[in-house]
Amino acid sequence: MFSRVALRSAAARQSTALVARGSASAASGSRDEVNFPRPVRGEPGKVRLGFLPEEWFQFFHSKTGVTGPYTFGVGLATYLCSKEIYVMEHEYYTGLSLLVMVVFAAKKLGPNIAAWLDKEVDTIEKDWNQSRTDTIKGLEDAVEAEKTAQWRAQGQELLIQAKKENVLLQLEAAYRERLMQTYSEVKRRLDYQLEKSNLERRLAQRQMVDWIVTNVTKAITPDQEKATLDRCIADLSALAARK
Amino acid sequence: MGFGDYPKEYNPSVHGPYDPARFYGKPDTPFGQVKISELGSWFARRNKSPQALAGVFSRAWWRWQHKYVQPKKVGIAPFFQLLAGSMTFFYVINYGKMKHHRNYKYH
Repeated sequence: MFSRVALRSAAARQSTALVARGSASAASGSRDEVNFPRPVRGEPGKVRLGFLPEEWFQFFHSKTGVTGPYTFGVGLATYLCSKEIYVMEHEYYTGLSLLVMVVFAAKKLGPNIAAWLDKEVDTIEKDWNQSRTDTIKGLEDAVEAEKTAQWRAQGQELLIQAKKENVLLQLEAAYRERLMQTYSEVKRRLDYQLEKSNLERRLAQRQMVDWIVTNVTKAITPDQEKATLDRCIADLSALAARK
Repeated sequence: MGFGDYPKEYNPSVHGPYDPARFYGKPDTPFGQVKISELGSWFARRNKSPQALAGVFSRAWWRWQHKYVQPKKVGIAPFFQLLAGSMTFFYVINYGKMKHHRNYKYH
């Protein structure tokens, strides 16, 4: 319980701090992008003779022409040397030989080293951007995969619909099968009843015929038989006489 | 304003990211456009406290850095500039001893 209270009070403090900061920035003015643009990393400044800024030469151009700065430099050097403000002691000649070596090395090795360093700079920049581009590519891939998944989900809906229709068809088939079964069962029973009644009637008829014949045969006396026989003979003779 | 603090005039919400090569105070006439007659009053208006002086050197250092050292593909120019500058500096501080190596008495 205490921990929860502490959490809540901490959250409240944080929110008030945020509000305070926001109000402070709002009160003190908005960002001035025109007079204070975000600094960008530009190209290096141009130099002449390896180290003298181009601006120094441009400063002379309007007043002395193109050769002015060089004339000034030579004149100044002449003045310094002539008045021995610049003293040519033993170190001066050491310096001269060093200068020759440095200029020769810069001219000879400079371009190769510059190309190699530029390549390294590009590699480092690419390395630093790598994770960012990788992240962007990964997110784009994820979006593509999500779209494919949605497309597949739509396919699933079609599949479910087809399955439902399939089940309905199966239900229909089962219904019709049972209907047919009922019909055939009923027909079988009715046929049985019909057959049964036919059989009973036939049996009863035969029984009755047998009984009647037996009784009739029993009822005929010998006299009657003789009379009938005589009658038959008389008829036969009559028939024969008529021929 | 202690060590490592931003200038008093710098306001992040207005000025954006801090540029160490930039002066955030109220701009005066640039030195190159000051007339000779106004030079006295121009210097009188300057803040000559040690902090302001340090700020001047700091801004100059960072302007040089941004122009010649910090760009993506720099040449050998900043190294030669450092070399020339240090040569001049050490020549000046050693001038008292160099003077004795003069070859001519009269110029």
